[in-house]
Amino acid sequence: MKKSIILVSAFIIIVAGCSKKLDILPTQSIDETQVFTNDANIKAALNGAYDAASSTSLLGGDLQLYSELLGADAEIAWVGTYNQPDEVYSKAILTNNSYVRATWAAAYNTINICNNILKAIDIVDEADRDRVKGEALFLRGEMYFELVKLFGKPYSAGNVTSNLGVQIVTTPTIGDISEANRVPRSTIEQTYNLILDDLNQAKTLLPEENDVYATTYTASAILSRVYLQMADYTKARDEANTVIESGEYILTDTYDKAFNNTSNSSEDILAMQVTAQDDQNDMHLFWSIGDFGARDGDVEILDKHLSLYGAADDRLALFYDNGTIYSGKWLLQYRNIPIIRLAEMYLTRAECNFRLGTNIGATPDEDINDVIRDRVGQTAIPVTLDNILLERRLELAHEGQRIHDVKRLKGSVDGFAYDANKLVFPIPIREINAVGPDILKQNDGY
Amino acid sequence: MRKLKLLLLGFFLLSGQLVWSQTKTISGKVTDAKQGDPLPGVSVVVKGSNSGTVTDADGAYKLTVSEKATTVIFSYLGFGTKEVSINGSLINISLEDGQSQSLDEIVVVGYGTKIKKDLTGNIAKVKGADVQNMPVTNLNQALQGRAAGVFVEANNGKVGEGVKILIRGSGSISASNSPLYVVDGVPINNSSYSGNPIADINFNDVESFDILKDASAAAIYGSRAANGVVLITTKRGKAGKTNFQVNTQYGFNKPTHLRGFLNASEYVSLVREAAINSDIIEGIDPLDPSQYAGSWLQHAERRLTRYSGWSDWRTLETNTNWEELAFNDKARTSAIDISASGGNDKTKFYLSASYNNQDGILIGNRFKRLSTRINLDHNVNDKFKVGFNLSLSQTSAGRVPVDNEFSTPMQIVALSPVTPLRDLDGNLYNSPTTTYSNPYVDFANGKFNSLIYRNIGNIFGQYNILPSLFFRTELGADIQNQNDDQFYGFSTTYGTGSNGYGESDWYRSLDYNINNYFNFKKSFSDVHDIDAVLGMSYQHYNSEYANVYGEQFPVEDLQKLESAALIKGGTSVATNSSFLSYFARANYKFNDKYLLTFSGRLDGSSVFGNDRRYGFFPAISAGWILSEENFLENSNTFSFLKLRGSWGLTGNADGFGDFAHLGLWGGSSYNGVSGLSPTQLANKELRWEKSNQVDIGLDFGLFNNKISGEIDVYNRKTKDLIYNVPVPGNSGFTTQTVNIGSMENKGIEFVINSENVSNKTFRWTSNLNVSFNKNKIVKLDGEQTSVPGNDGRYMNSLIVGESIGIFYGPKYAGVDPANGDALYYLQDGKTTTNDYNLAGDFIVGNPNPKVIAGLGNTVSFKGIELSFLFQGVFGNQVMNGAGGFMSASFDWYDNQTREQLNRWQKPGDITDVPQLRLAYGNGISSSSRYVYDADYIRLKNVTLAYNLPVSVLRKLKISTAKVYVTGVNLLTFTDYPGWDPEVNTDYRAGNRNQGSDFYAAPQIKNISVGLNIGF
Repeated sequence: MKKSIILVSAFIIIVAGCSKKLDILPTQSIDETQVFTNDANIKAALNGAYDAASSTSLLGGDLQLYSELLGADAEIAWVGTYNQPDEVYSKAILTNNSYVRATWAAAYNTINICNNILKAIDIVDEADRDRVKGEALFLRGEMYFELVKLFGKPYSAGNVTSNLGVQIVTTPTIGDISEANRVPRSTIEQTYNLILDDLNQAKTLLPEENDVYATTYTASAILSRVYLQMADYTKARDEANTVIESGEYILTDTYDKAFNNTSNSSEDILAMQVTAQDDQNDMHLFWSIGDFGARDGDVEILDKHLSLYGAADDRLALFYDNGTIYSGKWLLQYRNIPIIRLAEMYLTRAECNFRLGTNIGATPDEDINDVIRDRVGQTAIPVTLDNILLERRLELAHEGQRIHDVKRLKGSVDGFAYDANKLVFPIPIREINAVGPDILKQNDGY
Repeated sequence: MRKLKLLLLGFFLLSGQLVWSQTKTISGKVTDAKQGDPLPGVSVVVKGSNSGTVTDADGAYKLTVSEKATTVIFSYLGFGTKEVSINGSLINISLEDGQSQSLDEIVVVGYGTKIKKDLTGNIAKVKGADVQNMPVTNLNQALQGRAAGVFVEANNGKVGEGVKILIRGSGSISASNSPLYVVDGVPINNSSYSGNPIADINFNDVESFDILKDASAAAIYGSRAANGVVLITTKRGKAGKTNFQVNTQYGFNKPTHLRGFLNASEYVSLVREAAINSDIIEGIDPLDPSQYAGSWLQHAERRLTRYSGWSDWRTLETNTNWEELAFNDKARTSAIDISASGGNDKTKFYLSASYNNQDGILIGNRFKRLSTRINLDHNVNDKFKVGFNLSLSQTSAGRVPVDNEFSTPMQIVALSPVTPLRDLDGNLYNSPTTTYSNPYVDFANGKFNSLIYRNIGNIFGQYNILPSLFFRTELGADIQNQNDDQFYGFSTTYGTGSNGYGESDWYRSLDYNINNYFNFKKSFSDVHDIDAVLGMSYQHYNSEYANVYGEQFPVEDLQKLESAALIKGGTSVATNSSFLSYFARANYKFNDKYLLTFSGRLDGSSVFGNDRRYGFFPAISAGWILSEENFLENSNTFSFLKLRGSWGLTGNADGFGDFAHLGLWGGSSYNGVSGLSPTQLANKELRWEKSNQVDIGLDFGLFNNKISGEIDVYNRKTKDLIYNVPVPGNSGFTTQTVNIGSMENKGIEFVINSENVSNKTFRWTSNLNVSFNKNKIVKLDGEQTSVPGNDGRYMNSLIVGESIGIFYGPKYAGVDPANGDALYYLQDGKTTTNDYNLAGDFIVGNPNPKVIAGLGNTVSFKGIELSFLFQGVFGNQVMNGAGGFMSASFDWYDNQTREQLNRWQKPGDITDVPQLRLAYGNGISSSSRYVYDADYIRLKNVTLAYNLPVSVLRKLKISTAKVYVTGVNLLTFTDYPGWDPEVNTDYRAGNRNQGSDFYAAPQIKNISVGLNIGF
């Protein structure tokens, strides 16, 4: 019997030694409660927020791609096999389009990181607190701006107090989903108010220089876009003028140097940083061709677009022929993605000055002819609103501004009026299911 | 410690003394029950001890046993096992050939064995001998069709890749649906970096597969057993003459079916027709030269010119059959297996070495496995035995990309038949001459090699504390070491534009396991039999993975990353998990009639939070052997009849990550600076999935067991299903892992074995298994009643009240005879529309089979043996996700399937194929149009063997010799129009994503010849 007692006790010893073995923690991640505990972690989270914003679903290319595909108007053609961009191109977006779904989720992922940072902002070293707060507010405002442009009716369509914008969430998600996540969509006006509030705060908090990250001028530049959407030409002009007058940015000496750069060009006010190791660039992937490591040239440039340029326009020369014409702006792999360039500030200032009959900073003629057209080897043209807008269209072609300009200018594309339901993205069906159809309303036409 | 040593010493001395106790001698002869021939090499062992011997060439044995010994056990490979009471000194017995599914057969249960007759749970046993030398790479494929309720499906015909096995239906939505595999007591790791970890096992070493199906049988594995358990027992040596077996085999692999695409003439004509139709929609007459410029026809003709390369499409100079180019027309298989087994009454061994080489049917797809095994048993003394099992294998595979990659061989079918394979200089054409990048270029200039070392083994010691009580301890490990080496040359899909692409992946997993248990077995007063187990188990899993990849190689010959000028990235990750378990089981048998089993397991797992870490998994079952009762004892009809019933609870904690309960942030990077980003939403309440199963069964033997069988009815309800519940995206997260849903599987299984004819020269046996299973989702998250298909091309949905992964979406209504538009039904189910966005949603198919069946027959006449197995799957549908490309009315320039020739052409045409329209997407969105019935019956395996007669064998001085021809998947009967109805495209295969086809390779058809010699 003693033998069995020994065996039983040996057994118990083995058993007892094991229970601690169930305490296993992950090796690649840390628990959420350990993140917002010190200055360094919060700054790392801020860099994580830029990383989130640079996702291919957002500024890493899809936002720009959507804008150009929606605004194609037979100037470009989507010939790729992927259904999701094709639906955008055809203005026949299904509510389960996985790209649209991913863009929504990626934007709110960025917003959630910003909300986390803003909640814990007091832990940041005082010396950097304003900057960190300003960057988080900038990114949050910019994300809401991108969301409202795609998922809401354009500001120019009016009814901003009744047309729906997006859901506004300003509290971080920690531990579980909360009631703050089960909210209805705010109106267009409420959404724009949040955007203006975030960006204006950011503008005052941010420094003049900040490596490749947001500065006060980045905030101003994006603000000028927001005000343009709202047709507030005075403020748009002033923000653009602030950026130009700052002297922080200068146009590249030739047009082509503004693109395919491994580091920011002198005119980049904000560019997404792309490296071989962190190559989130869907503009390259879809617009370039296999020879340069992209897909198969999914976006082709059509004659209708090419015919808009003057003969010796350097911007025309940037297109290239590989059986079909492709945009040279996105030719090379692992290059930064310009989000907002100084050239746009000149165009915005010129347009606003022209509309307002003012000459703040410079005359529209100077901005258009001496600055923009001169660089690309084009002679002066008479300054009319149409010419300014055409110049804008050519200068910023295929950089993601097209549909938003069409919408604010109340134009039309491919037979769809600027405020057509089909030019507004559907709220992803996934979101409606998750929040509840009574709370989260679908857009008209879906 | 010293005390312990002394005690142990005393203990050995004590056991030594037993040898001196009183003994007696028994002897006798063992014969083959059918033919009356003596059986040499039969193991004769005294029950409850290690003493034993084997029969000699004349079937005779002589054994000295303790005076107290009451029972001897006779067992022989391929024959049953028989227990005989010692009454006197002469015991002659005959053993039944195992093919008749003897009720005395030993069945392996968790932590022990049982005689089939005494089972109260449902265990399907497949003998290793039945699948021996079957020319497939994965043991699951060998099991296909052989066991009731066990559904096996290979994703596609890639060799050595994914094979799904579902026992009694699908039990989970988000967690694992795979059974637990236990090899000689070691729960093995069923995941790997790539490829299929089960393919590392040489199933020719396997003595038996025991598939624990109901909860009562499986509950001893508690939290791991919700999807059933496959116990794999490898062969062991028997005392006696050393027996060598040599098998060599050589064969051919072919695809089961080629579906066929348009030839050049058809392609040109239909592409032009499609372009003209599109022009007409736009109000253009492209045949009018003034309107030609900018027309779709011009676009199409320019494309035809581009695609034709050097040749002229107008004269149909080229007619390439790309589909055939996806396949290796010289695919061969070869195998050599050598084993030796034997030993004496102290030490027994089984050794094997095996080489298995299979060319896949796809270009670039290969599989080669070298494996060795040593199983050793040693009796230290009458009470103490030790042993080990050890297998070492090397699997090397040439892989091909998953089905949705442009570079996967099967996507070659999209290329135009007007495109020549090579230009005039002999170089392979690639995009832009080919419509898409040419997979043949990737094959010719790329490699994707996997090398896996796998080591599964354990050591054990077993000590008989009392004749009725033993203690067993086992220490096992499963080690995988894998390296994937990839290189794609300058002209390939991955390597173009970057001067080559290279990647090196390293994966290692270590899974170790300790089992300690007591087994108590005793009869009281001749009527009470008790067999009880009490023990514990601890298991730890670790896996580590690292990779590095780069670009810019100087020349294509330098393929290692040493030569890459640009290292693009790399990573290393690790994960760990552990289980701590205590288990107990008691079997009670009264009067050989009434059986009762209780079992329970308490499991702790590291994958749950502190408060949710432990789960208890009990089971109870009972059996009543009616044929032992007076009223049936003398029945001529019922030679055996047993009614059994069981209930049990099992769990599932696999397949959703090791840390799903935590809220996590991980590293990220932007601008070359590190960052922190959220990766997972917390759920502290996460706990086990629980599966509740009731099984009622009837085992019967009729007419002296000439016909025997089993009927089982079961209801398996899984609750607390782990499910990634969609959460509002505005939280920054899209899902949360929650226990919320429930699902049920109800079914009936029939097994019938019959001995149709049996005499000295002719023997014919049959076995049939038919299983009906109905899967139903009972609850999702409590709010949603349906989660529609989550990707555009498929419609696998989760709908309460329906089966998992059911196809739900628009219903195709054919073609409008007036204009050739594709039509869909509105939600009213009657009215049709040509606007896809207005189409209603319907249940249009179910990927879960309603019925699976297998029918095996073995006929032997003198030395000739013919066995064949038909396997069938019924009542399921498959959706072709590539329909929108390959059967798409020339929406683009992909070559089309042949039924597109039946397209609508003029008003009044009645057809299912809409008018061809280039770039107009006429009917190509996912709908019931691409859902097809996928029932099939397959001649899974057929073997014709000739055993050389004894007279010849004597001359050759060998004991057995067999020449055989064997075939796999030789015939398939199906209405499925695609390549093969057994399909689930690999890139998305999962619990929910079933029954989908997407350029998936057809299954492999093999025919092999072989020679098997024993001496």
